[in-house]
Amino acid sequence: MNYVSRPLPFRAGYGCGRRDFLRAGSLSLLGISMSDLLRASESQPAPQARKAIACILLLMEGGPSQVDTWDPKASSGFKPIATDVPGLHISEALPRSARQMRKFSVIRSMHSEERNHPQGAVEFLTGHRPTPIMKFPSIGSIVAREMGLVNDMPPYVVVPQPWEYDFFSYQEAFQAAFIGSEYNALIIPDPSKPDFQVPDLSLPKTIAKEAIDDRQTLLKIVDRHYREIEESAEYGRMDKYREQALRMILSPAVKKAFDLSAESEKTKDAYGRHRFGQSALMARRLVEAGCRFVTAAGFKHGQWDTHSNNEKTLKNDLLPPFDQAFSALLQDLADRGLLETTVVLAMGEFGRTPYVNPNRGRDHWPDCWSVAIGGGGIRGGQAVGASDENGAYVKDRMVTIGDLYATIFKALGIDWTKTYMSPIGRPVYIANAIGDVAGTPVSELI
Amino acid sequence: MRFRLCFGLALLAGPVFAGPYPKNSNGDLRALRIVPERVSLRGAHASQHFLVLGKFADGLERDLTNSATLSVTPADIAKLDSSGRLTAQADGAVTVSARYQGRAAAASAAIGGTGETLPFSFGREIGPILTKRGCNGSNCHGSVKGKGGFKLSGDALFPKEDYKWIVEGGTFQVLTTDEGVKRPRIDVKHPEKSLLLQKPTMTVPHGGGRRFAAGSPDYQRILNWIESGAPYGAEEQNSPRLLRVEVFPNPIVLNSGGAQQLVVEARFSNGQDLDITNEVLYVANDPAVIKINDDGLVTAVKTGETALIVRAPGQAVSADVGVIEKPIENYPVAERRNLIDEYVFAKLRRYNIIPSSLSSDSEFLRRICLDLAGTLPPPERVREFLASKDPHKRDKLIETLLNSPEFVDYWTFRLSDLLRITHLTHSTPAVTQAAWNWVRNSVATGKPYDQIARERIAGQGAAGSDRAYYRIQELLTPQEIMAEQVRVFLGRRLDCAQCHNHPFENWSQNQFWGMTAFYGRLTEVRDGWVVFDSPNGGHVNENEGTKVIHPRTKKEAQPAFLDGRVLPSEGRDDPRMRLADWIIASPYFSEAASNRIWGYFFGRGIVEPVDDFRTTNPPTHPELLAALARYFREHNFALKDLIRLIVESRTYHLSTVPNDTNREDRINYSRAVSRPLEAAVLLDAISRVTAVDEEFRFHKATGGGAAPAGTPAVNMVPEVCPSQFMDAYGRSMRQAPPSGPPAANLLQALHMWAGPAYTTKIASEDGRLGRLMRSGASDRQIIEEFYLAALARLPEPGELDTLLSVIAKRQDRRRVLQDFVWALVSSREFAYTH
Repeated sequence: MNYVSRPLPFRAGYGCGRRDFLRAGSLSLLGISMSDLLRASESQPAPQARKAIACILLLMEGGPSQVDTWDPKASSGFKPIATDVPGLHISEALPRSARQMRKFSVIRSMHSEERNHPQGAVEFLTGHRPTPIMKFPSIGSIVAREMGLVNDMPPYVVVPQPWEYDFFSYQEAFQAAFIGSEYNALIIPDPSKPDFQVPDLSLPKTIAKEAIDDRQTLLKIVDRHYREIEESAEYGRMDKYREQALRMILSPAVKKAFDLSAESEKTKDAYGRHRFGQSALMARRLVEAGCRFVTAAGFKHGQWDTHSNNEKTLKNDLLPPFDQAFSALLQDLADRGLLETTVVLAMGEFGRTPYVNPNRGRDHWPDCWSVAIGGGGIRGGQAVGASDENGAYVKDRMVTIGDLYATIFKALGIDWTKTYMSPIGRPVYIANAIGDVAGTPVSELI
Repeated sequence: MRFRLCFGLALLAGPVFAGPYPKNSNGDLRALRIVPERVSLRGAHASQHFLVLGKFADGLERDLTNSATLSVTPADIAKLDSSGRLTAQADGAVTVSARYQGRAAAASAAIGGTGETLPFSFGREIGPILTKRGCNGSNCHGSVKGKGGFKLSGDALFPKEDYKWIVEGGTFQVLTTDEGVKRPRIDVKHPEKSLLLQKPTMTVPHGGGRRFAAGSPDYQRILNWIESGAPYGAEEQNSPRLLRVEVFPNPIVLNSGGAQQLVVEARFSNGQDLDITNEVLYVANDPAVIKINDDGLVTAVKTGETALIVRAPGQAVSADVGVIEKPIENYPVAERRNLIDEYVFAKLRRYNIIPSSLSSDSEFLRRICLDLAGTLPPPERVREFLASKDPHKRDKLIETLLNSPEFVDYWTFRLSDLLRITHLTHSTPAVTQAAWNWVRNSVATGKPYDQIARERIAGQGAAGSDRAYYRIQELLTPQEIMAEQVRVFLGRRLDCAQCHNHPFENWSQNQFWGMTAFYGRLTEVRDGWVVFDSPNGGHVNENEGTKVIHPRTKKEAQPAFLDGRVLPSEGRDDPRMRLADWIIASPYFSEAASNRIWGYFFGRGIVEPVDDFRTTNPPTHPELLAALARYFREHNFALKDLIRLIVESRTYHLSTVPNDTNREDRINYSRAVSRPLEAAVLLDAISRVTAVDEEFRFHKATGGGAAPAGTPAVNMVPEVCPSQFMDAYGRSMRQAPPSGPPAANLLQALHMWAGPAYTTKIASEDGRLGRLMRSGASDRQIIEEFYLAALARLPEPGELDTLLSVIAKRQDRRRVLQDFVWALVSSREFAYTH
């Protein structure tokens, strides 16, 4: 893992984000729509993507219904509303997100293959369908490995642990698998709780500086006898990690990064005082401090899995906090000049059935679903691909998980065609599309 | 797989063996031999290379072929040249003799059929070129999808398909039998323009580079074949089967500057032999150690050990090659306690590695307690053991531990990891408990391992053993269950063959699906949480019977064992029981089990990874492995018997302290190698040292609550029992078969500084430190007690003095003693078995 120590980059003169965002909107004044502009720009090479340095994944675990959110259809109880991108409509239950439409895009033609949660989780978190032979590295671990550590911050964090209230036996889908346990996620508790603290980053108050010094001294004494006999690379690594861990624990900057009390009440209110809102706020703080990949997992395990009372649950429990936190995050990132360098992705493991079942719910549907993605140099205000009139099957321009990953990797400056060699001797694509090929970045977006 | 190779058309005259000269031989020859000792040749141009090998006083065997005096009698049946090559002239029997420095050796050759010439056969004539020139290598055209639109079978395993792909073109597609775009690789009208000639000679660009030159014998042979119309040739119904390929000599030990010519012999089912030395592809697993040329001449590069892979059409075999430094003159004889020592020490002798001395009592005590019982010995027991003068104390300790309740705990834990007893798998606490109980009872009652395997593979209904097949969360398919059982019980990884013929090994996709079909009738009853084989096939929730369908041919797969035999209709009442019987009877079963058990005690299997037996991953000690497998089977697969054999051997008792000859050795058991403690064992160890039990709470979804006080971590099913410590230290969540020890990582380090196991436990007033301090123990007594508890030894005088002086200088005695305990449990000596 490359350890890179350099000043925090986000102040490096990216300028005010607002100017950029007005540009797209001004097109409509000239009578040109976004899609016209795209068609025109296809004939010349796309502008070089600015290199993003971090990614935030907003986890909508359970699988959000696409026809009720990003891809409004007649069967939805929600009406479509206009966004601030002319011609682009989303669900009325996402009014605030609609006003941020220029900052992000929706892909309406996602297609994957697994129809159940544990398998779907593996597929959307790693790009591969699960198999008991081996585990695949998650996108967060891949990004951590490719991008390296910065400012003593753990590179990959999941906040909070989605399985706190229920079984989440497929937590391994979030982890690094064979690429090395150093790329596992640091999983931290619920930041919306008043007693929030990161256990492994806080020394008990009883352990003062002298204790730390003495511990190191005594450890050297105790270790000496054995290590004179037997030294191995592994011990050296442990030394290195111990030093690094101590730096993290003692670093005021790291402590501060995990400390939400430094945020104003106004900001916390803007995101929403619920678990999801505060986890999204924490995500922003962490990428600001140098974290590479943060999964904001504030919804309960499988909360979006609305097999019954789909509309009611979306309307009352799911979409309001999501809408609030998602839009607040985009705005906050933009205000701080971080949006250009931070990819924001909102997705679940699949979509939901285009028809309603007898329990007024919708069931799992991987055949055609939607994700929202923006920031990090990814063009906003796009609707990529199209579903058929019911939102059931892909009509236009299928996008696989591999293509989505390729898009993110391209934004981050990672070679998306790369493979890792797994321990069983099978090369594994980091952006794995259906048919065991590397995905292709979505050209409409980057 | 059968490969029909018609017997012996002579090789086109290959290069004459160059032959090395004996270097550094010190002149004292002890024995002479010729290999191969016996061959049976056939055909008009039958020939055979022989090697003369001399064993010298320094223990090395050297190639004397070019120095010895060679002769053959009778002289009219065959000719023998000075490089040891025999050429047949007439039918009959001959003796090949060699003399050197007063010693003699002989070999025999029976020759027949010299009046016959053989009809052409594509497999025999062209197949070897494709193998030897690397065309069908697994990273070239032999890879799953071929390369550059050209596909060949690996190791020329399927000559009929190779023929089709060459003559008609086309490639392999994973999900269909459709062959894609077809571009013939030969041009019968303009033979020299054939891609099969232009590419490997680089007449046109070729990603694989130049494989042979235009006009070379291989080029000529292919050209002749195309010019004659590219026939497939006769496939004789009675042509004998290739039984095995042998490499001579094997194993090989060279010293620096040394070299050895190889002979590779193919043995056929009708008793005929064929010298294929010039027709095979040689690959050194580690080219830093040895070099090998196209004609089988091995040259030493640097000290070390590696496997040499020989790829013949239809088979790949390996030879073990070591390069040593100067041979040791007075090699010490080590005591041998059982068969393990015989094999291990024999190999060490051959490689001039001297085993380390015996471990100290401290080393041994800690090691055996951890390896057998997953726990540390309490300080009183350490004192007892160290003080005891009983010459049999180690063996007695072994017996005590084998019969201890901790043994049951620990080996239940290990088997639970292997058989994946998890809550996810079983979904209700009662069902999880049933599965765990089954494992525990099996260990506690000493159930033979084959019985465990049978119950596992063939379990039906509400049996605890088969609960693992009920995978509501994972929705396991028959092919996944089968591949896992084969990996666990036969040590072979068929998995890649699910979608295509295995890229590295000779497993075909058809074999894979034939084995899968044994699991084809598996169905489940959801409310009862049971699985069983439905007589009509099919799933209770579905209209259609669940059939196992071959994904490429789309036909239903019939249950067939790996050797190709289809399950007869009488066996179809209980296919999984038949499969269990077959698996247990297979030689793979005992060797895989023995290898795994061995791996627990030495940190690596004789084949490593322990469940990855492959021709390209040969055992480091093949005879030892075979002996262990035999022992285990003869002892009716009693786990304790095999374990006892291992831990009673002197090999197991060796110290970790290296000497000059074995510092680098990690694979030949010349010394004990340190192994990191598993997460659960480490947690239990810290609990024991600090004398503060870990409080385990059950996951809310299983009803919450606390585990009884004193429950060891090894008894906790991972998902039921959240534990940040164990997650950081890489415990297996049992979602996949166990895969080796955790690597050091940042999360462990964070935990080490700030995690409760390292902070609260140590600071507890009721723990060992608190109690010792309250009892008025001195600094020295406290240090000694903790060393005994953590490391099963007393501190060295130097260590003790330094520690005492640091502690004495601090104001806050309690605090600095806590720091000392922290240092002890964070040290590498503590975190490793050694």
